Amino acid sequence: MKNDDQPSLSARRAFLAKLGGAATCAGAAVGAAALGVMPSVAAKTEPAADGASFPTKDYDWTKHQWGFGVDATKCIGCLRCVEACKAENDVPRNAHQFRTWVERYVHLEGGDQVHIDSQQDPVNIEASGSETTFRFANRYKDAKVYKAFFVPKLCNHCTHPSCVQVCPTGATFRTEDGVVLVDETYCIGCRYCVQACPYGARFFNEEKHVADKCTWCYHRITKGLQPACVEVCPVGARIFGDQKDKQSPISLFIRNNRVQVLKAEMGNAPNVYYVGIDKEVN
Amino acid sequence: MPKHIVRLITLIAAVLVVAVVAPQLLTAKSFYRFGHYRANAVPEIAAKEPVYQTPRYCYGCHTERRAQWSAGSHKTVTCEVCHGPAQGHPQNGKLPIPTDTVRLCTQCHEAMPGRPHTQPQIQVAEHSGGQQCTVCHNPHSPKIAAAITKVSGNAAAGKQQAAACASCHGSEGTSPNDTWPNLAGQNAAYLARILAAYKSGDQTDPIMTPLAHALSDSEVQDLAAYFGSLGCKATNRGKTAGDAAAGAAMAKNCTACHGEGGRGANPAWPKLAAQKPGYVVNALKAFRAGLRKDPMMANVARGLSDSDIANLAAYYAVQSCPATK
Repeated sequence: MKNDDQPSLSARRAFLAKLGGAATCAGAAVGAAALGVMPSVAAKTEPAADGASFPTKDYDWTKHQWGFGVDATKCIGCLRCVEACKAENDVPRNAHQFRTWVERYVHLEGGDQVHIDSQQDPVNIEASGSETTFRFANRYKDAKVYKAFFVPKLCNHCTHPSCVQVCPTGATFRTEDGVVLVDETYCIGCRYCVQACPYGARFFNEEKHVADKCTWCYHRITKGLQPACVEVCPVGARIFGDQKDKQSPISLFIRNNRVQVLKAEMGNAPNVYYVGIDKEVN
Repeated sequence: MPKHIVRLITLIAAVLVVAVVAPQLLTAKSFYRFGHYRANAVPEIAAKEPVYQTPRYCYGCHTERRAQWSAGSHKTVTCEVCHGPAQGHPQNGKLPIPTDTVRLCTQCHEAMPGRPHTQPQIQVAEHSGGQQCTVCHNPHSPKIAAAITKVSGNAAAGKQQAAACASCHGSEGTSPNDTWPNLAGQNAAYLARILAAYKSGDQTDPIMTPLAHALSDSEVQDLAAYFGSLGCKATNRGKTAGDAAAGAAMAKNCTACHGEGGRGANPAWPKLAAQKPGYVVNALKAFRAGLRKDPMMANVARGLSDSDIANLAAYYAVQSCPATK
């Protein structure tokens, strides 16, 4: 090693330090100049409204925290919810893509396994006669049924949603009022979220080439209406409301029943509460 | 400064400028407003127009239907469940009135394992013989009224009261003329219901109304029990205005409630076998005109012509009474 290594090294350090400082100044200057009003990157704590309410002028999302209840003891498996959801939300009219669906759990006498089918089972599609209308075939009519029940399913709008965590583009997110939404203009169709969801609540919309899922009918609830599936349920098996309002249907449902969520061990903290389901339901 | 250093500085500066400017230009303005997403997506999603309009929207015009529907057991089944979403109605035309009601109604009411016991369910093959549900049920208020089938009266006490009825309905409940109905062997629950309706004013008749007003509730029950206990001896001979064979074809629509040949087994509904044809004609015309009020019969009678009515009356007149008691 040469003797002049030391001075040259410190000179290099000094140079790099100056360069870094200059670059920072230049970057800041360029950035500030390029955008007169540059929104802060760390704006997560910004208040929802600067005078006006967000997202619409009649609806302030900081005042609500939505929740959904399913009373499986009431469900009759009529599938009006499934058809209404398709009509309300432009879900592709086919028999394999659903934002909400209904499962049937059947235990036969003497059997030790549970038979599970939903409206998209081929036998049920045949009973409905078309791929755009749905009905459960009476396939257990002559069987010795020990126990049977229907369970409506939908997106759980988790407090810690796996789908949001994995989205590479910020196309899916959880709103302040507790609804997990998909920004169709930002979705690149990578289907990562479809894989990540522990509940199988997402599907890939082949018509729009984006990930698709239940929104709790966000366009309805922000107008003071109920989600379409809740609106049409003839037996009140689906319950929806604001968890911040202690007298809302969902608050009363949670308070007056022993409720459970699906796959609590996953840590997603779902916001769909179930009553009347067996351990096989998950 | 050496040339290669200048180049290096220029390059680093250029990279930095791109690194700072490019995200600003390429990221939507509202991105990061609340988090790692485009805030403007939220109002965009919220702006969509609802497709299902809720019953309140329907009330605006369909007040009569609302009154009927909201009083019945289908009040939890909203308009759009059966008629489809009301977006664009009435501007874009009428909403569908379901025609295949067997298919529609069984979606909820077909007996099926898994349906809760509180849900009314039917064995589709046995329930109606393939008839449309709307033949008997009003879809807006489907529960068949007057399901009370028990009569608590005492037939012996009723016999004493019945002396007053003999001049029109015959001494043994078999009417001597064509205008007044036979009562012998009629379902007691039906008789009690009609007599109570005369008493309450729900049904009116210049002769029956004052007579029924004079009766107590227990006398109504006694009379019904008495006439119900009598054997039917009625036979209708002679010519009737209608064609019994044509009436037989139409009467298929009546069997679900009134039974085969009018020998109904359901105690809530009247037997029609061997009933006086003049009475049947008057009753059907009264239902058709709305003078006698019954939601189901109003529906049924609305579509009948005068000759249909005469044919039906002729058919039932020649049926033999059920052999009871």
